[in-house]
Amino acid sequence: MLSRFSDVLQTAADVLAPPASRLEDFQYHWKMIIHFYQNYDDCNKIHIEDTRIPHHFHQMLQLIVDEEKEQQGGTVGPCLEAVVQRSICWLDALTALAAADRPPGARSLALTTGTALLRRTRQPFVNSAHVFRPLQRMLIQCNENPASPTEREEVELLLTLCGLVRKEPGLANIFTTPFVEDKSSLLSIPEDIQKLIPLKSKVQMPKKNPLFEVEMMPNPMRNISIVRTNSKDDSAVTKSSSSIADDNASCKSQKTVYEDNDKFLLIDLLLSYLNSADNQVVLRACEGIMIVSSLPEDDIANLVTSCSPVCETIIDKLAEKYKSIPPHTDPNDVDHLNITWAYVAQDFGDKGYNKFNGYRELTSFFSWLDYCDTLMKECHPCIAAHLSRTFRAQFLESAGELALGGAGSAGGARSATLAAALLAKCLRVVDSQELINEFSNWLVGEGEMSEWPLLLSLINNCLTEDHDLTLETLRFFETIIEKGTEHSINRLVLSRVCSRGYYAPQPLLEEDERDRLNDLSLARERERNREAMKQLQHEDHINEQINDILQHEGVDTKEQPDMENIHRVINSFLLLLPRAVLSDPVGADYEHYIHDAQRHYQLWLEITSTFSWPTEQGDNTASSTHSYDSRPEADIHLDEAFRPLHRTIDKDTWTTDNEHTKDNDTRDKTECFSQKLIIRSRDVTSSVAEDFDEGPFFRMLFKLLSEMHLRPYQVNLHLTSIISKLALMPHLYLHEYLLNPMLPTTKKTQTLFKTLQDLAKKLTMEIPRIKNYKKVIENTRLQLMSEDPSYDESGDHNQLVESLIVLEEFCKELAAIAFVKYQHGMHMHR
Amino acid sequence: MAYAYLFKYIIIGDTGVGKSCLLLQFTDKRFQPVHDLTIGVEFGARMITIDGKQIKLQIWDTAGQEAFRSITRSYYRGAAGALLVYDITRRDTFNHLTTWLEDARQHSNSNMVIMLIGNKSDLESRREVKKEEGEAFAREHGLVFMETSAKTAANVEEAFINTAKEIYEKIQEGVFDINNEANGIKIGPQHSTGGGASGAGGAGAGAAGGGCC
Ligand SMILES: Nc1nc2c(ncn2[C@@H]2O[C@H](COP(=O)(O)OP(=O)(O)O)[C@@H](O)[C@H]2O)c(=O)[nH]1
Ligand SMILES: [Mg+2]
Repeated sequence: MLSRFSDVLQTAADVLAPPASRLEDFQYHWKMIIHFYQNYDDCNKIHIEDTRIPHHFHQMLQLIVDEEKEQQGGTVGPCLEAVVQRSICWLDALTALAAADRPPGARSLALTTGTALLRRTRQPFVNSAHVFRPLQRMLIQCNENPASPTEREEVELLLTLCGLVRKEPGLANIFTTPFVEDKSSLLSIPEDIQKLIPLKSKVQMPKKNPLFEVEMMPNPMRNISIVRTNSKDDSAVTKSSSSIADDNASCKSQKTVYEDNDKFLLIDLLLSYLNSADNQVVLRACEGIMIVSSLPEDDIANLVTSCSPVCETIIDKLAEKYKSIPPHTDPNDVDHLNITWAYVAQDFGDKGYNKFNGYRELTSFFSWLDYCDTLMKECHPCIAAHLSRTFRAQFLESAGELALGGAGSAGGARSATLAAALLAKCLRVVDSQELINEFSNWLVGEGEMSEWPLLLSLINNCLTEDHDLTLETLRFFETIIEKGTEHSINRLVLSRVCSRGYYAPQPLLEEDERDRLNDLSLARERERNREAMKQLQHEDHINEQINDILQHEGVDTKEQPDMENIHRVINSFLLLLPRAVLSDPVGADYEHYIHDAQRHYQLWLEITSTFSWPTEQGDNTASSTHSYDSRPEADIHLDEAFRPLHRTIDKDTWTTDNEHTKDNDTRDKTECFSQKLIIRSRDVTSSVAEDFDEGPFFRMLFKLLSEMHLRPYQVNLHLTSIISKLALMPHLYLHEYLLNPMLPTTKKTQTLFKTLQDLAKKLTMEIPRIKNYKKVIENTRLQLMSEDPSYDESGDHNQLVESLIVLEEFCKELAAIAFVKYQHGMHMHR
Repeated sequence: MAYAYLFKYIIIGDTGVGKSCLLLQFTDKRFQPVHDLTIGVEFGARMITIDGKQIKLQIWDTAGQEAFRSITRSYYRGAAGALLVYDITRRDTFNHLTTWLEDARQHSNSNMVIMLIGNKSDLESRREVKKEEGEAFAREHGLVFMETSAKTAANVEEAFINTAKEIYEKIQEGVFDINNEANGIKIGPQHSTGGGASGAGGAGAGAAGGGCC
């Protein structure tokens, strides 16, 4: 009442007296506050919002903002100067109120007022001891007090301080332990203010506050500064406020080595809010960490990694969220999620939104992962390196490995399936290169060890009888390839292929082999088969179509030297299955496959452009020779050149393959080809055609491929999708290994084409035994095309026929890929 | 409350141009003269009706200061609409539009609808950027344009609603894939589609996959 009355008196006085200056106004509001507290009685249960205090605070803030607008060149105005000089101990009062919460609600008001002062003024002089000491004291109030009613206000203040540090990195010193001098002086509130706002009980040392977990040195070092400041900032401060910058935090002498005990309190305090139940609070803490971590100063980055457990805490939280995903979550639900950090806070508010088992936990986990990923991309490289190492050690190796590896144990298959789905999704969504690298290295291994245990257990998971596990693990591999790094693709795919050990010309068999392939494997059946005529027509039709496509795509059938060969490659794939069992003999969709392949090949060229692969990308000239080899027909071309050369092996021209690939267009094509051929023939003769070990990954792929008829359609789709991705890769040897049906190998060496041939043979024999098989094929195709989800769920599937259709389409796709790569080669060499 | 769609918006532009005030005017229909520096993202939401359909706008108000760009950037993702704001009384805020636009295009999805807003149209006497200049910039970069006042509320509703209309049209035309939440659009609970598309579409290969037809 009294305060209102004096306000009225003042208003009355204003009418009579000349208008007061801003400082007088400011002093007036301060006096009113003092007056209020002098007369305040704790028994009076009034809430602060029902007093005039908020009004006075607001007015004081406004006066400071207004005067700053008029201030020239960053000089300090009289109101703010009074605060900074402590002639008006407003900041100390705010600190005392935040501690005492008198009257109820004062704590929240004090925190928001402090925050507003820092946010609304352009130059709050935090460098000055009279400003930063109260702020440090106020920080003591911002410790993790579970479900503190003022946690939002607390974390806003912390975020604001992060913002100040972001703009003036030297201020970070204020929030490190060496600078927080001793706890007793920090806890004590200046006498004058204490008298005014007595604390009911003595301020207790908050238990969980990181400020007090530090053993302070008995003789606190004065004048130290962990973060160097650039002198430019300092001079700006001194110039504008020489009178008040006497105890300037960022002007202190330099110290860039920390003691073991040093702590970066600002970050530590923020970390304590990450466990809040209030998403908005967590969000603010995350933002604060990101703002400070993204500073370009090395000193700050070192402070963050060496003096705070930020990386460990963040990754621990990721692992914790991962572990809390319910084991019965449906792996299919994982894939559809699209979650970014910060968003969760809002999303949970949208009640009635579709939810499924585990939705909440999944959302929380992937949102946190996105935060880690975003932080990785934005933060200082030192922090990123530390964070990614922690990610691997504390998340991938502890949480991930356990679940993936346990497929053999009881219930293990289920958890391995979910783990594969989750980790595949993780890899799919992460975007920062460091995280992708850590992920890849974890999966495929590093160093010399070639058979990486984790990789082997993943491969084994694909080969179990559990189709769900196979499916999710295949999808994981698909992601590993899509997000492949040079290292991971080398390890997973190329480690064997790059020796070209599969290549074994068989001079004696060659004619036979060639004949067989040229006759497109069906010569004998053709004679017996009643469909012989139709098959012939079909082959003619396919040939015509290929010609059409080649012409349409601008490849002139007459002018290109290697036309024959690409034609043969395409033919081998398209005529793998006899017409009688084709579900789509017309093959109306080649064009579509070609366009898809063009698009995807372009992507792969971009992805691998930085890889040091022996590909066309490595070459800068169109006439360079070995790029020719990357075209599917290269070897046929070579083989044709082979016979005459074979008889005249000249040991002097022997060079290693390596030298050869480095060799640039100094020689003409024929010469280079002949050299390579000589090497190959030597290889063959010296190591009498050893069978090629394709390695565990290809072995698994080929095995699944040869057993397509035993597995569900979805598994086969992903399997073929992986192989076509590999076939798209612009790698010399991988290319010929997968896409050259005429590749000479030893009998037992497994290749893609041989596997497909075996499968085709099996299907061609089995399928005609089905009653009314043509109709069944036709119906199955229609059903698969309809993408009717009820078909997927119905138990009535003819896996045999489904796998036939997958094979049929897969062959079209491979033909298209071979063609597109050929076409690209042609364009490059024009 | 039930809604047919939810659109995510972001508000971007230099500090002090009135982004937070525009949001407050739109959601609370009031104007706040003090400028509280925005550091972290602030959320606002309001329901609007387009074509008889309830649409919930979820609006993300961001920090304009360069120092906080690291967090702002990550909020662009998954926005269906953006209000790019400058202050007609400060030419520098207009000059920075290109940088903002580049940033937005780089970090958001390509279909995002961007509305250019010249704010503080009530301060005609202090105008530094002509309306025609705003229009020309918008035309050049394919944006929608409006001048608003967060103080008098002039055109504020229109700015938010016209952006939503534009997005809605894109949905009708099939430009936005509404099943992909990365586009910043969510289908409300009343619309829920039956048990998610089966995995068939995901694989590049095979009969029913993206390969044929
Ligand atoms: N006259 C006038 N002032 C405005 C208008 N919009 C915002 N302001 C003022 O401009 C300042 C900055 O506004 P704010 O919304 O905080 O800007 P932000 O940094 O873009 O969020 C505040 O002081 C507002 O009162 C407007 O339309 N007219
Ligand atoms: Mg703002």
